[in-house]
Amino acid sequence: MTALGLDIGSRTIKLVVWENGAVVLTRKALTSSDPLAVCRELLHHTPPGPLVATGYGRHLVKEYLRCETVSEIKAFALGARAVFHSCRTILDIGGQDTKAISLTADGRIDKFHMNDKCAAGTGRFLEIMATALGLSLGDFMAEAMATETPHPINSMCTVFAESEVISTIARGTPRPAIALGIHQSIASRTVSLLERVAVTDDIVFAGGVALNGCMQKEIEKALGRNVHVPPDPQIIGALGCALLAAKNDEPVKRHDYDDKVKSSRGKARES
Amino acid sequence: MKFNADNVKPLIEDEFVGEAAKRALQYIQGKRSAGMPVAGIYCGYAPMEVIRAAGAVPAILCAFANKTIAAAEAVLPANLCPLIKSSYGFIITDSCPFFGISDAVVAETTCDGKKKMFELISHYKPMFVMDLPQLPDEEEAQANWAAMITKLKGFLEKTFKTEATSERIEAEIKATNVKNALMNRVFDYAAKKPSLLKWSETYELAFLAQVATTEDLQPIFQEVFRTIKEREEKGVYYGTPSSPRVLVTGCPVGGDSTKVYKIIEEAGGVVVAMDSCTGMKPFMTAIEEDTGDPIAAVAVRYLQLPCSCMTPNLRRLTEMDKIIARFQPDAVIEVVLHACHSYNIEAYKIMNHAKEIHNLPYLKIETDYSDGDVEQIRTRVEALFDSL
Ligand code: SF4
Ligand code: SF4
Repeated sequence: MTALGLDIGSRTIKLVVWENGAVVLTRKALTSSDPLAVCRELLHHTPPGPLVATGYGRHLVKEYLRCETVSEIKAFALGARAVFHSCRTILDIGGQDTKAISLTADGRIDKFHMNDKCAAGTGRFLEIMATALGLSLGDFMAEAMATETPHPINSMCTVFAESEVISTIARGTPRPAIALGIHQSIASRTVSLLERVAVTDDIVFAGGVALNGCMQKEIEKALGRNVHVPPDPQIIGALGCALLAAKNDEPVKRHDYDDKVKSSRGKARES
Repeated sequence: MKFNADNVKPLIEDEFVGEAAKRALQYIQGKRSAGMPVAGIYCGYAPMEVIRAAGAVPAILCAFANKTIAAAEAVLPANLCPLIKSSYGFIITDSCPFFGISDAVVAETTCDGKKKMFELISHYKPMFVMDLPQLPDEEEAQANWAAMITKLKGFLEKTFKTEATSERIEAEIKATNVKNALMNRVFDYAAKKPSLLKWSETYELAFLAQVATTEDLQPIFQEVFRTIKEREEKGVYYGTPSSPRVLVTGCPVGGDSTKVYKIIEEAGGVVVAMDSCTGMKPFMTAIEEDTGDPIAAVAVRYLQLPCSCMTPNLRRLTEMDKIIARFQPDAVIEVVLHACHSYNIEAYKIMNHAKEIHNLPYLKIETDYSDGDVEQIRTRVEALFDSL
């Protein structure tokens, strides 16, 4: 059977199509100011099947796509166990929030914590810091990895951190040092969030920020343990949704999305 | 979330359903027209029996709306509890009708923010600030608090030109006990499995019961119990038998912060117990009668309030044990207002107590009166229910 999972995050929307025990299609697109239109595009020409949605936008699509919704915590728990069966702890750093989830040995949610109402330490924070340094996200990570001597950045508020970075550049501090300092400050924040849920191996690191190898390395250093980054860390929530949709006994008949594709804006990325 | 039947008669059926503050305002205005002075209050520590014995009607001053916060932030720091900012905003924009009709204000040294805010509003109305002992179990605490209550009595007598005799205070103690017993009978129906009441019904009744006299409440209570009986006979209940039952504890929740109650419901939960000063807290303890020293008896009762401004406030845990045994919640949700350090820090103990002693899942929600975090809160609450 076919089942679909949709994760409508604050920055990116992810789609996973699950068929007979395997992921057969994944799509991602920026959320934009019209997430519903983006969802329609992502669902264009996908095979029929039950759909479950998660993410901040889930309630937006619930009625429109006539689908079930699930909290991100549960979606990530299911998705992480699917890619890493022995997973007991999940760290997800997305565009606008960070979550830490601990699971019991049999995969049930034990505890969870999310950062509050603030972009500190999230993907958005990293983007703003990279821009302040005049670097692309890729170069920002590469520069940080090219040095051993960090310059600590103390502010965690996005606005204050940005001005701290700018004044540090003005004092002549080398950019790589600042870049590493930023990564380390996020890593230590992340570790305290993780410690609130009690960390047990194995740890899965998901979300867009998990694509940043320097972040992974610094978190591992601060934590004193290894973390596993799945091959496509951004789709874990959507994968969890697809798995849940596949498990639903009575598949909800979804609307025919294809009829609803009206907009032809920016085509979704397919992989 | 709804009742399992259509057209269920609300607990208090009048033109104010859903508008607890307006109902209270109409009551207070009625009393004022009849010649009673009005004493504005901000906190659960205001000794109601003495206020009533002085012939006044208490008015709970507005403190729960986001709309007055911007005005307050012109003076107060943004990084302050929204309850304090909102109260101050209401006063400087002259938009709290309760403050407008208050003849005096009774204040207490609870948390730092309130204490300092009171200084800024002290020139608007005659105000009496009570020095609240914060180590309530110390030997001197009761005597000191009783001395403060006596001073308050003097202030009210002078301001309202009356006399609050020991007999009147004793009579008010007895009236409070009757009222609290009736309120607890109502709470028992919220505690039923499934619950017979919607959170807003208990909330509205508690709001009115704080200001109205026991005598004036009698006909309302009669109607309330008739309505409840009817629900019981018809098998009417709120939510579903499998809806997660939630105990909400922490800072006072009212007006705009009732968004938390609404989100809990929208996520499929039923709020069965509201452990805060805008919920059940003011009605939970009885006052000792016929002691011969009514002021001392009142002092003892108020010092028993488990507020986080007290230390070590162990009573909060023992009260929680009782509430959990009585209401049988499936989860504990704590509401902490932004920058309320005392509840926020105490939350750690509450979390451990809920999880370790009662084996209940616990969620802390830090919020303010804006609606910008509704979706974040929803995600957490839904995840909490998913984990049950
Ligand atoms: S929580 Fe404490 S300070 Fe606030 S109203 Fe209640 S008793 Fe007063
Ligand atoms: S909620 Fe906390 S900070 Fe705000 S007034 Fe009450 S005790 Fe003070």
